[in-house]
This record gives sequence, structure tokens and C-alpha cells, in this order.
Amino acid sequence: MERRRGIDDYEPGPVPPQRPLDRFGFIKQEVGGSTPEGLPKSRLVADYEREARRVRKWRKMIGVGGSDWKHYARRKPHVVKRRIRKGIPDCLRGLVWQLISGSRDLLLMNPGVYEQLVIYETSASELDIIRDISRTFPSHVFFQQRHGPGQRSLYNVLKAYSVFDRDVGYVQGMGFLAGLLLLYMSEEDAFWLLVALLKGAVHAPMEGLYQGVKIVFKVGLALLKYCHEDLIKLSFEKLIHALRNFPEDAMDPDTLLPMAYSIKVSRSLEDSKDEYEKQNRKHIQSTELIGKA
Amino acid sequence: MSYAYLFKYIIIGDTGVGKSCLLLQFTDKRFQPVHDLTIGVEFGARMITIENKPIKLQIWDTAGQESFRSITRSYYRGAAGALLVYDITRRETFNHLASWLEDARQHANANMTVMLIGNKCDLSHRRAVSTEEGEQFAKEHGLIFMEASAKTAQNVEEAFISTAEKIYKKIQDGVIDISNESYGIKIGHETHTTSSGGRDGTSSQAGSCCS
Repeated sequence: MERRRGIDDYEPGPVPPQRPLDRFGFIKQEVGGSTPEGLPKSRLVADYEREARRVRKWRKMIGVGGSDWKHYARRKPHVVKRRIRKGIPDCLRGLVWQLISGSRDLLLMNPGVYEQLVIYETSASELDIIRDISRTFPSHVFFQQRHGPGQRSLYNVLKAYSVFDRDVGYVQGMGFLAGLLLLYMSEEDAFWLLVALLKGAVHAPMEGLYQGVKIVFKVGLALLKYCHEDLIKLSFEKLIHALRNFPEDAMDPDTLLPMAYSIKVSRSLEDSKDEYEKQNRKHIQSTELIGKA
Repeated sequence: MSYAYLFKYIIIGDTGVGKSCLLLQFTDKRFQPVHDLTIGVEFGARMITIENKPIKLQIWDTAGQESFRSITRSYYRGAAGALLVYDITRRETFNHLASWLEDARQHANANMTVMLIGNKCDLSHRRAVSTEEGEQFAKEHGLIFMEASAKTAQNVEEAFISTAEKIYKKIQDGVIDISNESYGIKIGHETHTTSSGGRDGTSSQAGSCCS
């Protein structure tokens, strides 16, 4: 309960507003030199126009409030896939994620359930959640204020989820997922999307297009490939640091994602996973045996 | 800088006891009250000196939540030292120590040196575990013990270094076979090997060919 008693404790306080933010609302780290401000203006204008074109296409595709979405996704799944890969426009992500995941249907099928979970239910994980709230996106404007609207919403969503899915409860790391969703949608929408992501929706309209863990690997591999030349020169400790702090150009989605899509991850990923789990089990079993002996 | 030995450490203990803050205070000499919670594992390193020998500490900082135990367990292997941390203001973090030790006993080598740290000793007015209880537990289980504060830096340096001294003594006494990597110790090339072929970093990189 550090958060409530913590008057004499650390008090981060609001960060001065003049600190520069990136376009997602994170306070920029002072990394010497390479700032994106250096981009030529023409490129920014081109980016802006491209985004505006995409927004128009997407609006047409999903219809008002998403009314045409299911129809379109059934009729032209390949177009949907291509457009998703090019990037869902930022201003439509909140809505589109809910449509794709099927969380919108969950919401409509369960009116009042979220409110019930937040107001009336108690969770065994409440203290655990509270302890982690201030450690979730502490450098984001929406979450940095203690007991501010961001932290309150995050707490509500996580608590509601831990009640809704009691077998899983609260697991550290969920906050980063829920927090990201809250930047794009209301608490209730974020809750049902979290449910759809972690438990699965009744019927996800885009099920056939789910990439699962494969895309996580592909993006990871693309990052490694892009920085390969630099990474292999590093000592172990510098490598660990570098793997957490990729340069900005490596993270440009227009470069990174096409590369990721081009990497073929074969069945052998599944095989490697099975093998790893088998070995891990063996190791744990053997140490447990030794422990008991 | 080159080193005579490299010791691998692991930091364990319940969530929120201050494991990452202790590490940051030790490696960077600063306290960061607001930081991301640890998912999986984090890493830090620092050089220290024991009996005029440069020693590198390579420290793995783990996530405390129960759900991550299956991941953190694999980091016990090949650790020379462990810092087992509890929070003196939260009784339950002290009560869980036995289960942490059980994990360590099962997955670490039997000669791993364990330092018990009662963290947040700056918050003495909220103390829920007495110093004597900490001492008693350490004595019963053969651990070194210190109360420390990652916030004020009190005893942080000492905790990491006296663990290293204990390990160093075990090497001197021949208790640890340093040729066996599962003990979490590597021998460095103390001689001036600045011309390590092909490595493109600064000269301070030499000898850090550890993984």
C-alpha cells in the first residue's frame, strides 16, 4: 500500500509540461544528437498526406461506426490484410482494433457487466495491481500523475479483468497492454478488448488473419537483421543494452515491417518451441529429483 | 577494463521489494522512484576491487511475481551469488523468504553465496520486520545479512561487495572449482589484452568476452 501511505515516500509530482513528448505522449529520452526534428519538411508533408489518404480509404471500408466492416472483411479479406499491413491510421486504431478482435461484440453482448465488475466486485489482486500502477508507463503523460485519470482507469480495467478471469487473475505486464489500449479508447472498450486478446472473443471476424506469435518473431528477427552489423561487434554487456535501445531508424515501421513480412518463419519455429519446452521440463524435473534425493 | 574474475549474481525476492532499485543504486549510484516494473529479467554490471584484484560483477535482476518464477528459475544456474531481498515494511515479503530459498536450493549450485537484504531501512517508522528477525533467519539458513536502503544508498555498496568477498574467499580456500562454469565464475585475462582481435569497441571492452 505504498501508494496511499507514501507521503513521506518518494513523490514524483507532475513533470514540467515543457518536456518534449513524442507523438504518442511519451516523454522523450534525452538521447544526444539524433532527433527526428531533423527530418525535411517535405517528408513530413508527404507523411501527413499519405496518412490522410489512408484514413479516407479506411473510413469507406469500415462504414459509419464500423457498420460495413464485417461485410467487407468477408468479401475482401486480402484487401483488409494488405491495408492492415500498411498500417491502420492512428485515429482509427481504437475502433478498428475493437472490430478486428471481436471485442465490440463482447461489449454489446454484455451490457453493464464492466460496471458491475468495477463497482461491486473485489479482487484478491487489488494490492498487487496498486503496487504496479505507478510502475506502468511512468514516462507517459496520461499515466504519470499519481491517482490521475490515467492511473485510475488502468486500475479499474486491471481489477475488472482479474475478477472476470479469476483463474488468471492479475499478471504483471498486463498493465502495459491495458495501458496502451486506454490511450485509444474508453475504459469499458479497453476492458473488452483485453478480454478478447487474452481469453479470445466468441467469434473474431478476422480469425483467419491472426498471425499469433509468428509476427512477434518476425518483427524481432527483422530488428536483429537490420542492426546485425552493429550488434555483432558489441561485447556482451553493450549488447544487452543495445537490444533494449534500438536506434530510431531501426524502429521506423515503414522500414521494419516490410522487412518483417518478408522473413519466412517455417514450421521449424513450432518444432524449436516444442524442443525447448521438452528440455526445460527435463531440466526442471532433474533438479527437482535432485532436490528430493 | 580487464578483470581477474567475473562473478555472476542473481537478485531475487517478492515483487516491489526494490530489487531493480538496489541494482540501479549499485551500478549507477542513483535512485529512481518511478521506473517500469520488471518483466522477465534485467541486467546490470559493475567493476569492483577486492584485495587489489579487479572483479566484474554481472548481475541479473529478476521479476518478482509468482507467475514469472518459471522464467526466473533458469537464471539460478551458473550464479555465484544471490541477493535475496525483502521489504522491511511488508511482513509478507519476509514470510516468503523460505520459498525463495527453496527455489535457490533446487536450481542453483550448492556453493552459491546468498546475501539476505532487508531493503527500505530508511522507512524505519513503517518497519514490520525487526532487524533481529532478519539476523535470525540469516543465521538459521547460513546467509549473510544486511539491512539496506536503495533510496539512501545505505549498505548497498557493502551488500554487493561483501557478497563478492565471500565468493572470493571461497575461491581462495578452494571450495569453488573455478574451472567449472556452473559455479558462475569466470577467469579474466588480467594482463593487458587491449588488442583483442576484431573487437571494435573502446579499449575498456577488452576482456569482457563473457556471455
